[in-house]
Amino acid sequence: MSAGLNLILVASAALFVVGVFGVVARRSAVVMLLGTQFMFIAGAIAFVAFARFGLGALHGTAGATMALFAGAIAVAELAVGLAMAALVYREHRSFALDADRG
Amino acid sequence: MPLIGALPQPITSAPLVLFVYLVLILLLGSALASVLLRNTVYAIAAFAAGLVLVALLYLAIAPFLLVAVQLLVFTTVSAAFLIGLLRATTGLRTSSVGRLSPEWIVGAAVSAVMFALLALVLGATSWPVQFCCGLGAENFGAVLGNTYAVGLAVLAVILGSAALGSGLLLAAPTLPSPRGGGSTSSRSPGGGGSTTVRR
Repeated sequence: MSAGLNLILVASAALFVVGVFGVVARRSAVVMLLGTQFMFIAGAIAFVAFARFGLGALHGTAGATMALFAGAIAVAELAVGLAMAALVYREHRSFALDADRG
Repeated sequence: MPLIGALPQPITSAPLVLFVYLVLILLLGSALASVLLRNTVYAIAAFAAGLVLVALLYLAIAPFLLVAVQLLVFTTVSAAFLIGLLRATTGLRTSSVGRLSPEWIVGAAVSAVMFALLALVLGATSWPVQFCCGLGAENFGAVLGNTYAVGLAVLAVILGSAALGSGLLLAAPTLPSPRGGGSTSSRSPGGGGSTTVRR
């Protein structure tokens, strides 16, 4: 038994799908933001996996650097997204993002 | 471009393979819990657990600096943002357990012991960090500061802009909505929007 690029990439893809599900299927602004975070994390894990097991290993720090940047961008996106969620809550007293809510 | 040297081999050490499998399974479970749970507090807790699990995964396959940043910066900042949002909106109450109470001291002691144990294991055995250190990634910090200096500067600007923008968004008055809402003041019990709009 071994753990290589395929395993990490499959897990990364599954994590991305979970994030997409959170964005598409849920209507809570907070959960949608968490879904986008999981999509960012999935991409970062794929970067790191390629750097560790794939061709990127020739430049071993590149994948980790990209993961670092992706994480920082995700945090920035979370900050702005949560501020917008707070405004939505102030307006509607709910985190739900229904278009037909009165 | 010709490929120079052999590709790195998959991880074959049985304990580390089990560790990676366990972390991946728990990570997917926490992600599912985070998007499926109805309770926002539990969803955020599952999300924070997922970030910690990502840090544990990085421990096995990435440079240690990325582990530290993921654990100490991304996880704590994201959790702080989410808890701050809850406290500002749905009214997450302050804990009734005061500081320096027996419960607080016991919890802090347990956390300190766990971190000390982790540091001891890492310092004494370098497990599982030793598996990633043969990739020429020991000088990750130097590479970040030299090769990616411009990227780091851009990143700092982006993070600063995000902090400023989110602060301005939170401080700004609510815009009037087309349906007549738009007040931050208290609403009537019937759900109708207030007519007062702060500008």
